[in-house]
Amino acid sequence: MSLIEIEKHEVEEEHHEQVRVRGLPFFPHFLLREIVVMCFVAGSLILLASLYPAGLQTPADPFTTPEPIFPEWYFLYVYGFLKFWTWNLGPIEAKIIGVTLPMVVWYGLLFLLPFIDRNPSSDIRKRKVAVALGVIALLGILYFTYFGIVHH
Amino acid sequence: MSILDKIYKWLDDRFKLRDLLPPIVKHPAPEYAVTNPLYCLGGIAFLCFLILVGTGIFLAMYYKPTPLEAYKSVENIMTAVPMGSLVRSIHHWAANTMIAAVMLHMMRIYFMGAYKKPRELNWVVGVTLLLITTTFGFSGYLLPWDQLSFWATKIGTGIAGSLPIIGQYISLLLMGGSDIGNETMTRFFAIHVLILPATIAILLGLHFAMIRIQGISGRL
Repeated sequence: MSLIEIEKHEVEEEHHEQVRVRGLPFFPHFLLREIVVMCFVAGSLILLASLYPAGLQTPADPFTTPEPIFPEWYFLYVYGFLKFWTWNLGPIEAKIIGVTLPMVVWYGLLFLLPFIDRNPSSDIRKRKVAVALGVIALLGILYFTYFGIVHH
Repeated sequence: MSILDKIYKWLDDRFKLRDLLPPIVKHPAPEYAVTNPLYCLGGIAFLCFLILVGTGIFLAMYYKPTPLEAYKSVENIMTAVPMGSLVRSIHHWAANTMIAAVMLHMMRIYFMGAYKKPRELNWVVGVTLLLITTTFGFSGYLLPWDQLSFWATKIGTGIAGSLPIIGQYISLLLMGGSDIGNETMTRFFAIHVLILPATIAILLGLHFAMIRIQGISGRL
């Protein structure tokens, strides 16, 4: 196996000298792993598609609302939060908060994350606040997804 | 040394095969990125994207984007077109897997702190890619024009429409009127097969170019 040394140019706060990490050539090591994973994923997709084919319900009828109706699973947390938040904040209506918080504010925070989190360390032990906030956000999304399923 | 190695070496001695390989092939990947399966998630999302392009082109050949024809054409794909049911089901599963993979990929980047200097812009491009991927899902959901499509889109456009200030414009832009109908269908189709694929191709190019320039971020 051909092992080579590559240089890591990242400057970290504690050591400013270059860190050496063991590197493997992209070809064939990295590519081989990728191909194995790709075969596995492609096979799984074909298996899932054969066992659970995509559904097709009755044609759209604007005059009959089916029960229950759910949005796509990745939007359920927005839907769940909208159902969850029922309090008006002063002049701001509950519904406005219910859609703005999980869409505009949440995505705004995601976009700005690297500019909000100025801690230069990528060591998980030195990022306790960021990790805690991440876990809270994750549990929150799971909770509101659950809330959206229960309170449709 | 195996026989294949010997053949390769014999050819390499004479033709300098190694110099012909594109630079990416010779570029070293850090060992942790090869051995840790968490580093596969972005690649899985990209594979799903490629499968979606392939199956999507197939579906576009049989699909008719009008409220009158859409449902019948999807029914035709599911029952009469050879392999149609399989291709549509793969499209469906690859779409869901892609969204899940993008989200998990983002979680890995977050918890490993890989978005930090100098990779801030790549994170921003990544979040945009997540937005585009979910918009792909949202626009594709309407196209079969069945009860689920119609009413899920009703909820979705309703939620987008109740955003303050811009909501009503987004809603009008998406639906092309005050309710889901002809205009909505053709708009969603154009968004799904023209606007979003072009946008995602450009952003994926940027995403990969930045990784290529900056390398994969450090260890845990």
